[in-house]
Amino acid sequence: MLTTTLAQVRAHAGRVLASCLAIVIAVGFVVATLCLNASSRASVLDAVGAQYRGSAVVLSETGDRAEGAPDPLAAAATAVAALPGVRATALDRTTPVQLRLPGRSGSSFAVATGLADDPGLRWQRVSAGRLPTGPDEIAVSERTGAGVGTVVTLTPEDLGEVDAVPPAPREVRVVGVVDLRGDPRAGVTGQVFASDADLTTWGAATADLLRVAAAPGADVAALRDAVTAAVPAAEVLTGDEAAAQAAAAFTGDAANLTSVLLVFGAVAVLVAALVIANTFAVLVAQRTRELALLRCVGATSGQVARSVLAEAAVVGVLASAAGVGAGVGLAAAVSALVSRTTSPIPLGAVVVPASAVAVGLVLGTAVTVLAALAPARGATRVAPLAALRPVQPPPVRSRAGALRLALGLVVLVPSAVALVVLSRAGMLTAAVGAGALSFLGVLLLARRLVPAAVSVAGLLVRPLGGVPARLAQGNALRNPRRTAATATALLIGVTLTSAMVVGAASTRATATQALVAGYPTDVVVEGADAVPTDVQGRIAAVPGVAGTSPVTTGEVSGPRETTAGAQGVEASAAGVVRSQQRSPLPRDGEAVLSVSAADTFGVADGGTLPLTGSAGTQELRVRVAPDSEQFLVLTAADLRRLDGAAAVTVVWVRLADAGDRAQERAVDAVTDVVTDSLPSSSVSGVVAERSSYDQLLRTFLLVVTGLLGVAVVIALLGVGNTLALSVVERRQESGLLRALGLTRGQLRAQLAWEALLVAGVAAVLGVVLGSGYGLAGTAAVLSAEAPVVLALPWAQLAGIVAVAAGAGVLASVLPARRAARTSPVAAIAG
Amino acid sequence: MPEPHPTRTAPPPRRPAEAAVSAVALTKTYGRGDAAVTALDAVDVTFDRAAFTAIMGPSGSGKSTLMHCLAGLDTATSGQVFLGGTALTALRDRELTVLRRDRIGFVFQSFNLLPVLDAQENVLLPLQLAGRRPDEQWLRDVVARLGLGDRLHHRPHELSGGQQQRVAVARALLPRPDVVFADEPTGNLDSRSGAEVLGLLRGSVREFGQTVVMVTHDPVAASYADRVVLLADGRVAGEISAPTTDDVVDALRTLGV
Ligand SMILES: Nc1ncnc2c1ncn2[C@@H]1O[C@H](COP(=O)(O)OP(=O)(O)OP(=O)(O)O)[C@@H](O)[C@H]1O
Ligand SMILES: [Mg+2]
Repeated sequence: MLTTTLAQVRAHAGRVLASCLAIVIAVGFVVATLCLNASSRASVLDAVGAQYRGSAVVLSETGDRAEGAPDPLAAAATAVAALPGVRATALDRTTPVQLRLPGRSGSSFAVATGLADDPGLRWQRVSAGRLPTGPDEIAVSERTGAGVGTVVTLTPEDLGEVDAVPPAPREVRVVGVVDLRGDPRAGVTGQVFASDADLTTWGAATADLLRVAAAPGADVAALRDAVTAAVPAAEVLTGDEAAAQAAAAFTGDAANLTSVLLVFGAVAVLVAALVIANTFAVLVAQRTRELALLRCVGATSGQVARSVLAEAAVVGVLASAAGVGAGVGLAAAVSALVSRTTSPIPLGAVVVPASAVAVGLVLGTAVTVLAALAPARGATRVAPLAALRPVQPPPVRSRAGALRLALGLVVLVPSAVALVVLSRAGMLTAAVGAGALSFLGVLLLARRLVPAAVSVAGLLVRPLGGVPARLAQGNALRNPRRTAATATALLIGVTLTSAMVVGAASTRATATQALVAGYPTDVVVEGADAVPTDVQGRIAAVPGVAGTSPVTTGEVSGPRETTAGAQGVEASAAGVVRSQQRSPLPRDGEAVLSVSAADTFGVADGGTLPLTGSAGTQELRVRVAPDSEQFLVLTAADLRRLDGAAAVTVVWVRLADAGDRAQERAVDAVTDVVTDSLPSSSVSGVVAERSSYDQLLRTFLLVVTGLLGVAVVIALLGVGNTLALSVVERRQESGLLRALGLTRGQLRAQLAWEALLVAGVAAVLGVVLGSGYGLAGTAAVLSAEAPVVLALPWAQLAGIVAVAAGAGVLASVLPARRAARTSPVAAIAG
Repeated sequence: MPEPHPTRTAPPPRRPAEAAVSAVALTKTYGRGDAAVTALDAVDVTFDRAAFTAIMGPSGSGKSTLMHCLAGLDTATSGQVFLGGTALTALRDRELTVLRRDRIGFVFQSFNLLPVLDAQENVLLPLQLAGRRPDEQWLRDVVARLGLGDRLHHRPHELSGGQQQRVAVARALLPRPDVVFADEPTGNLDSRSGAEVLGLLRGSVREFGQTVVMVTHDPVAASYADRVVLLADGRVAGEISAPTTDDVVDALRTLGV
């Protein structure tokens, strides 16, 4: 049977090419993620563990040491040095110092480390100059910004030890620069390296580490045991163990990122599996006669199934191997790209772990074979008689279909209800579970849902597309399973993408709402003294300013002999603030108090507050605003009646809603006006805060969309592949249509419509579902933090539909060209 | 097997024959060099308007090839084909397609109908491709002759072979093409279904002046025609006017079938 299988693979190479590509992409994605993870680990291990290079054994202190006790590691050094198999020892001391470079006014913090006397225990590699040899010579890390030959002022930090002499600044010469590339810590603080003697002078009395170099040929494990026995009070590790431990502390973040990437990888693999399953189902359907003929000549159903599976295995192995290659290439490209930028995750040379290769090969092959299981089972059901009968696509309304429908509904309905309830309650974990379950329900129902949606969509497009559209609708519905599977693959990617887009939009709206409630005024101009009317006018005239309202400030005294500052707002303020949720504006005769103000004056909501100022006395109705941070707010008229000296010292500004950039420009312009005329005033606004938040969300969205894009691309390959296979199947029909007068263009249009129907339905369903998940997700994540505002970014969602449907049409181009090439005669001839 | 057409009716008086389709020195060669097969060898033939012509000949004699070239489905190696006054050999693919759509009807031996369309949609397909509305009265006439009754909205796989062929004939007749070409339209049918299809074709010639050119292997089918053109080895090997079944059998026997 193997020869038959290989012949099949060769004969159908073109047909399985697209599903091969699907595997290549999915496997490539996973392998690249694993390689990049390993590479960053290796780079970190290399850089962070550099310190332990050359050390066979490393000792560090355990537990607290009594005040004034001698340095235990120094004592241990003598004992260890006497052990057999020890070549040299080094005590590592560190101490914080301040560095001041010539020509700079400020100094910066750095950590000074002593150099080992033994050259074998010196791990520092210089990129320029040399390591210090004498007193007051230092080598520095790049971060310090000092070059070779510079003389800098070094001040050891006062460690506050009792009866220590306060450290004096000293001039030291930089003789070398140490290369710390790849060490994630290198960018944080500068490092200084000097002789051990200098370190002691600078106040590093005790050592942090005792590193031991082994004599040539000595056994490291035996040495560690010997050292452990000699110095029971210290923690003893081999050099390799110490390096791994140090690196682990820094790769925690990278591991998180890897698992997130692998989630996207899993989505890509899932979508690829759908595409593969569909391809094999179509291949089996197309080969029904061939398989039946095999059965007629005596092949058992088991042999038929095995031949399909063997074909899948061959395809899977070949495609996975290509995928591994692609993944390694991708990882190399990414690390080349990253090494040129400053990235929080260091990447040196690409490491290709054997495990990544194995995972890629096994995953790709296993997924392909698993995906081919159902089609293989279908192949066993081919009766020998089918060789003699025309092929009919299996009906959707089979018993298995009914079961699937029932199961789908049973899964979907309760989990969808649970999703709504749980997300409104803000129970994130449970909501995620319900969401995943409901999506499973949707996938189960897709086989019914998609064809129904396609036939409705077909009715809609028929008036637009004429005969080609009518034929496309018919063709899209003749194999409901195939259409459903094709659409489902796309549905997954589109759903996840739109969920992210809607989630981001809702998060943004929620954050904006929270910011607006917290900072209801776009820009606040606060003068040290009164803001003259003409300056108010100039602020109002700045382009991009939608409105301004002057705020009068004054001083009043109330009950319990409290004197307090009060703000007086004009009626125009109502049009300037964006929210009165937390700080409502008072009406005439009313005073809005914060909770602390109400406490201070000893009044309650609805009561009266007698206030006195330089100009008179007045009784005001009390309104307590529980969330307000404004102590006491009156109307400007009331305030002026109380305090004769009250003046406008604050101006509230509302900006036109014209996008972040325009608003930032407007803020700058207001600042210019104000600093010009009132140098001691301040301008504050939330626009910058809002836009940095937006920037963050945009970046996040871009990255996530890019990652999900992999799944969408695979699904679109599936659309093209299914069409290509259908075109092969419909060769005769295409010929008949051409004979009857369908032009090549119309034939191409027919396939484009078919692709549009399938991709469009998947895209619309995906966007609808994704919006639901996005809204639910936002509610679940944010409802604990703030009142959630749900937002649907219509333009972006329409964009997703347009891109997915458009790409679907694009995927039809190659199959359509092939169909259009069909000669009418060849097709009729059969 | 009962003779489907026991009494021979004489052809009705016709106007002077005008050529609906004609081939001039039509040659078609498949393949190249040693493998070259000359399917048509300088064929000159004319098909009269409003006449029912059958093309007969041994298997491999070039009948289908001739029909494909006449119908603008295939291009000739040399020579000319005229449909009325139009020289098909000068047309490009798009023009040929439109010509097929508007001026030619087809009935093939099998696989005539699109499986995704129902019977009526299949009948209307060429008109819809052309963006034309069917003549309601004519549509009713044609459909009435189909004898499909309430099965007009069934899909092809729900119809018998004979019913499918009748739908194909109706589809070919509905746009009132200049010529209807039929390649072994009864080849897959039993004699009764075949007789129904042939009756439809001949009726269209007699009653509506339709031109029909039919390739067939069956002498009985050929006897429905006004004239039989005989092909052998890619050349015209004779013709019979007002053929009877026996005439045809005899003629074929001389050709060595
Ligand atoms: N596509 C092709 N390539 C090569 N040779 C062909 C092709 N089509 C037909 N021929 C050859 O041309 C000759 C005429 O074929 P054609 O199909 O016209 O015969 P036919 O008279 O219709 O035969 P039949 O009665 O069996 O249908 C045959 O020898 C055939 O082998
Ligand atoms: Mg033939």
